[in-house]
Amino acid sequence: MLKFLKQVVDYGKETAQAAKYIGQGLAVTFDHMQRRPITVQYPYEKLIPSERFRGRIHFEFDKCISCEVCVRVCPINLPVVDYEYDKATKKKKLNSYSIDFGVCIFCGNCVEYCPTNCLSMTEEYELATFERHELNFDNVALGRLPTKVTDDPMVTALRTLAYLPKDVMEPHDLPAGSQRAKSN
Amino acid sequence: MNSGIDLQGTFIQSLSDFGISAELAKVFWMPFPMLLMIIGATVGVLVNVWLERKISAAAQQRIGPEYAGPLGVLQPVADGLKLVFKEDIQPAKSDPILFTMGPVLVVMPVFLSYLIVPFGQNLVITNINTGVFLWIALSSIVPIGLLMAGYSSNNKYSLLGGLRAAAQSISYEIPLALSVLAIVMMSNSLNTIDIVNQQADYGILSWNIWRQPVGFVIFWIAALAECERLPFDLPEAEEELVAGYQTEYSGMKFALFFVGSYVNLVLSALLVAILYLGGWSSPIPIDMLSNLLGVDPSTSWVQVVDASLGISMTLLKAYFLVFIAILTRWTVPRVRIDQLLNLGWKFLLPISLANLLITAALKLAFPTAFGG
Repeated sequence: MLKFLKQVVDYGKETAQAAKYIGQGLAVTFDHMQRRPITVQYPYEKLIPSERFRGRIHFEFDKCISCEVCVRVCPINLPVVDYEYDKATKKKKLNSYSIDFGVCIFCGNCVEYCPTNCLSMTEEYELATFERHELNFDNVALGRLPTKVTDDPMVTALRTLAYLPKDVMEPHDLPAGSQRAKSN
Repeated sequence: MNSGIDLQGTFIQSLSDFGISAELAKVFWMPFPMLLMIIGATVGVLVNVWLERKISAAAQQRIGPEYAGPLGVLQPVADGLKLVFKEDIQPAKSDPILFTMGPVLVVMPVFLSYLIVPFGQNLVITNINTGVFLWIALSSIVPIGLLMAGYSSNNKYSLLGGLRAAAQSISYEIPLALSVLAIVMMSNSLNTIDIVNQQADYGILSWNIWRQPVGFVIFWIAALAECERLPFDLPEAEEELVAGYQTEYSGMKFALFFVGSYVNLVLSALLVAILYLGGWSSPIPIDMLSNLLGVDPSTSWVQVVDASLGISMTLLKAYFLVFIAILTRWTVPRVRIDQLLNLGWKFLLPISLANLLITAALKLAFPTAFGG
């Protein structure tokens, strides 16, 4: 009889505890309702990519010496380097250069190893096209100056969390000239 | 206790003055409350969908619908329009009659249940003496429709969802009915209006929630399970069952399920408000207020204020409960089917039985406080 009573009491305690935890959970959910939305209203607001962001690759035609290091370090030998040997100057002459961004994984090895720094990373990440072939950028497309979200008058550029001042959690309405928190 | 505004009586009276017989006048009157009920329930659903999306967004630190109308209020209308214009797909090997009957059987009883929801002394469509009983009877038709939909879809996910829905509805109906029974015992009536009037004497202090706290909790849990709301939404658990019995549905038939589930949520919230939170009565009785201000409670403008206050009070209480339901949705994880049945049969059922017995005992012991 006592054992049964103890079971009943334990069951009651467990129930009360479960109810308590549900109450605590409800309090957490309720507390979230008064917090400011953390979402970025994408086409109108955009986050500024960090300085190490690996976006579309930029290519400078005149700097390239057609050494094909980018092809060798690429995991899938993606860059297409079309050159011919100029007997008169005894140098390779680059005809065209292309990278297919539909296949590229943006690992940045080509940029890392390029001996003349003719390859570089940009902040561009909006590469969507209507056709796959349009993603195959030739040297003209690769040489276009990259756009910046901070230059776009249609877009409110927002800083990401790491670039906000100390103890500031959200990027809207920052005072002008505010600096990012110093890392220790 | 004054009788309040009697629109039906006034309407019939005014038509009778034109020389139309009282029976004919009543026939003329009948379409109005019906139409009002359908429009009211549908608008309630739209408000509910909007609230659900906005509150869910807020609980997850999002914004939610924003561009369709001010604050996105037209988003549910847009959703509904989209569903109206979508193709009605009938799976090749499904049972066409049952497949169409399913959603209809789910929606009809829910809309019919609005007949017994009172918004004021005379603001109810049918004042029948077995009001709450009618609602319980109607709500047990719904699982048949769900089972029909799940079985006729000829899809294993649909069938599983339908079976789960049926099992869930049947097991939670019993604690629901038992907790309603305790209320009925206290108010000596199955009539929703009598139940509200019985709670009206001392404002917020006389609401049934103080005399039936356990019943209130059981009723609310069981109502959430009947509506298949999270944490009890396992008939349509999307991670395991795609969409349960709704998997094969599209267009208007899917919209019927969708509307049905939201109407059911509003209805359950309304019934909790009526059974436990004093229905249309305000926290401070309006008679007391008008006496305090020195106005006769039977003057016409007080009556109008009383009626509109009653409607807004009922809706306010109901939507507060809807808000709680949405908050619960983002707080509590979904239960498993065995946990669900354990909760229903081993926890809620014995406790609601004990609650009923204790209510009966208290009624015998303190007939003044527990409605002798």
